[in-house]
Amino acid sequence: MARLVKSVVEMEGRISERWALVEDDEAAEPWPDPLDGDFAAVGRPAPRLDGAKRVTGQARYTVDIQLPGMLHVEVLRSPFAHARVKSLDVEQAKTVPGVRAVLTPDSPAGAEGGSCAGLLFAEPDYAGCPIAAVAADTPEAARAGVIALSADIEQLPHILDYEEALSRELFEMDPRETLRGDFESAYAAADARVELTFETPTEIHSALEPHSCVARWDGDELTVWASTKAMFGTRAGLARAFGMPQDQVRVLVEFVGGSFGAKAAAGKEALFAAELARQTGRPVRVANDRHAELNDTGNRPPTRQTMRLAGNKDGKLVAVEAESLIGRGSPGFGASPAFVLYRVENVYGLDASLKLNVRPANAFRAPGTMERITVLEQAIDDLALELGFDPLEFRRRNHVDFDQASGEPYSSKALLDCYERVAELAGWAERDRLLRPHPDGLLRGMGCATQIWGGGGGPPSHATIRLGGDGIATVVTGIQDVGTGTLTAAQVVAAEELGLPVAQVRVTGGDTQPNIYAPLAAGSMTVPSVMPAVRSAAAVVRRKLLQLAGDVFEVSPDDLSIREGQIRSKDRSLDRPYSEVTEKLGNATIDGSGSRGPNPTGKRVNTFGCQIAQVAIDTAVGEVRVEHVWAVHDVGRVVNPLGASSQVEGGIIQAIGFALSEDRVFDPTTGAPTNAWLDDYKVPTIADTPEITVDFAHKPDYELSNVGSKGLGEPPIIPTAAAIVNAFRHATGRRVTGMPMTRKRVLEALA
Amino acid sequence: VTAYARPSSLDEALALLGDGAAPMGGGTDLAGQIDRGLASPATIVDLQDAGIGAIERDGDGIVVGATATLAEIAEATELVSYMVFRQAALAAASALLRNTGTLGGNLCQHTRCWYYRGVEWNCWLGGGETCYAQIGEHWKHGLQTGDCISAHPSDLAPALHVLGGTVLVRSLGGERELALLDLYRRPTSDNRSLVTLAPGELVVGVRLPVPPDASAYERAGERQAFSFPLVSVAAAKRGGEVTLAAAGVANIPVGLDPADPLRDLPGNPQSEWKRKVLTALAERAVAHLG
Repeated sequence: MARLVKSVVEMEGRISERWALVEDDEAAEPWPDPLDGDFAAVGRPAPRLDGAKRVTGQARYTVDIQLPGMLHVEVLRSPFAHARVKSLDVEQAKTVPGVRAVLTPDSPAGAEGGSCAGLLFAEPDYAGCPIAAVAADTPEAARAGVIALSADIEQLPHILDYEEALSRELFEMDPRETLRGDFESAYAAADARVELTFETPTEIHSALEPHSCVARWDGDELTVWASTKAMFGTRAGLARAFGMPQDQVRVLVEFVGGSFGAKAAAGKEALFAAELARQTGRPVRVANDRHAELNDTGNRPPTRQTMRLAGNKDGKLVAVEAESLIGRGSPGFGASPAFVLYRVENVYGLDASLKLNVRPANAFRAPGTMERITVLEQAIDDLALELGFDPLEFRRRNHVDFDQASGEPYSSKALLDCYERVAELAGWAERDRLLRPHPDGLLRGMGCATQIWGGGGGPPSHATIRLGGDGIATVVTGIQDVGTGTLTAAQVVAAEELGLPVAQVRVTGGDTQPNIYAPLAAGSMTVPSVMPAVRSAAAVVRRKLLQLAGDVFEVSPDDLSIREGQIRSKDRSLDRPYSEVTEKLGNATIDGSGSRGPNPTGKRVNTFGCQIAQVAIDTAVGEVRVEHVWAVHDVGRVVNPLGASSQVEGGIIQAIGFALSEDRVFDPTTGAPTNAWLDDYKVPTIADTPEITVDFAHKPDYELSNVGSKGLGEPPIIPTAAAIVNAFRHATGRRVTGMPMTRKRVLEALA
Repeated sequence: VTAYARPSSLDEALALLGDGAAPMGGGTDLAGQIDRGLASPATIVDLQDAGIGAIERDGDGIVVGATATLAEIAEATELVSYMVFRQAALAAASALLRNTGTLGGNLCQHTRCWYYRGVEWNCWLGGGETCYAQIGEHWKHGLQTGDCISAHPSDLAPALHVLGGTVLVRSLGGERELALLDLYRRPTSDNRSLVTLAPGELVVGVRLPVPPDASAYERAGERQAFSFPLVSVAAAKRGGEVTLAAAGVANIPVGLDPADPLRDLPGNPQSEWKRKVLTALAERAVAHLG
């Protein structure tokens, strides 16, 4: 039976209530605890389905797509943070040999009445902002076409400074205020107070594969290959832009070379490619070079945050104030982590997003939360030390078991387990030993930080499984695996529920054509949303397989079970390979479909975790090295510990870039970034990567779904930078004024 | 670029190095220059078959050909007595780039100043009017003052200077041999070049004299690998005498006075932090000499 019910779904802090299609779930019974259950696949390390293809160069990414007659596109971008385009010589550009089409801000585009306004700009308000696009037979001809536009661009005054924008009240969005209790009175009356102002950097996603799209029209049907984390969103966006039904748009995303929050919709590259392909009748490829990638694909916004915290001698936090100035980005959605991570009754928050002449931000792995935790967790450390508490013990004392913003309980929370485990792994109790002199002359210290994030996912999400006569089960999903290993997780879940060996299970995703929906790869939603649907679909196929086995072996199906491909009776008198059933199918298939059930009502679904970092500091030359990070997160059931560890490692490495080396640097004269190339925008290398120790709380969230997994994409990046800077303080007794902790900043802090 | 040539001898290569031709060792810097419009040669003269890549004994010294790669230098057993050279070669770039990048190209590479490299600016060094670094972001820049405050990027140059290396230069007209630091010049308003090579001249190798008693290389990068030096110091000792040189502190490599390494390097407002690092690295490099 199918029903439509209202379900609350959270994505990156945005809470929405939506209709969810609910069907009978053949896998309604939750799997047992990891320690109690006898699992053949779930919880066992599974190598990535597409790992070999990715590392041997066989994977075909969007940037690798070459179609006959394909045109290439070069985009003219503003060299100034604020400018006015006085003229473009489109006719001259069109005379360049090989140039086939030119788009400018007022070019018609998309459906009747549509234009390029909103994609191309005559008054660019950040450097790198697109002004015009030229399609040509070769990239060189496209570039020549851009030069032939002879753009006359007049520089206008720009604003890059928070204070200047604030004094002129140039807000990107209305400032957001948060009030609970009475901050000022509680702050004044408390035993101890700390105040901290800290600057966080602009962090750019820097995915290995740039934003790219190839579009081809066949009559009135549009096919696009897109490097995106949101193929259904891309389909919807293109269908809307061109005024056509969604089923005339097919989006293919076989491999994506990273997203990290960007590539979230039908972006400029998809719309340019589709429009230019329509105008020219040729396939069109749009792919950013690294300069465009670093200038115009969005970023984590820079912030300047001031926090004031107060606590009492009994080790209780009593007041938190958090104010942030944000460089043209969102403060994040939902409650600030500063007001819900620890039990506190009196809070005041003010977030002001300022309309600077910088690239507007977009989502970047735990948007809003990562940069706030980076500051909050320093202030928490300072307050703990001020009150004479061990920083980790102080965090334990302020643990809270419900969501203070809504008053609702959490569906599950194993943060105390995380604290205990990570402290044990890192040897936290002995951390002051690091303060003794070391033979290499470096100072060492250890710091910790806590993480909270959503990651519950929700409906709608669907999966279909088809088991054929060859014994291969194919799981059809709407997953776009942006490199996170979610297809492999689906393989593991399906194999477990089907009772088949993992190798007999194939998983497909990255194609909108089957119209099997999964959410975009955002908000740590894929595993919690899709895996329950996969499990439900697998349960249907398993039931049918055992029914057929009953016919083949002439026993009652109720007496049969299947595990790793062996069909057995309860008394083990029957023990046969499942191929003896499937080989009789011929060209028939056993099909099953499943969908994600609704989220629990009246409960908040969140992930938690704690990380500890050990750093070494070479004080004479201002160098900080991260030596070891220990991470323990509560993400419910871990489907594939190998893939999960990899996610945690990636998040930690990305956070090390934020902490130590990544930032966007602006030239005051033009307002253009000086370092929009990878030789100056420094992402971490493997040499910067510390030893990383990963563990999980391993507590399934039974309230959430039939699988009990919460998401893991974002949680690991959240606490690392704070743990690093807290370790720096442990080692040196000093605070830096901001990140990244360049040698210059470190030497200034140590002076 | 309209032509690519891969001559099989040095003479052939020199003959091709006329107007509009650019010599290419590994191309790791040249490709970036072309990509960002800093160079637009009509012809690329690929030197890999020109026979100038050998590492050979030369009396009590050694000659290293211009197209020897950084990886070959870092691993050459012939160079074990010239430790600072191997260390500097190993410190540069990434493994992939060291497999491709060459000695000659490393010495002649252009500055990494983001205003010089950036497509949004036409800076003084590139032929424009303004050193944008001085009125803008220059925390990675040099400690000297003047028309251009960029920072010299070669790890090898200071190492070769302290080893007493000389640069072998050839042209169709003949050959000359320069002290390492004489390959470089402070740019002037009528000549913005940072090297003293005349048109048609090519660096074909470096001659190293008798090895020093000891040598060492210390550097500070922006991350643990794959970073140009923010500051680096090379040191060598012969008899009782210590020689020091640095990259990253002026727009050309500079010899340092061991008694006062900061002499003539006052610093610019945002780069002054490098003085502390230079002092520390000089102390460490000297300490390694024993």
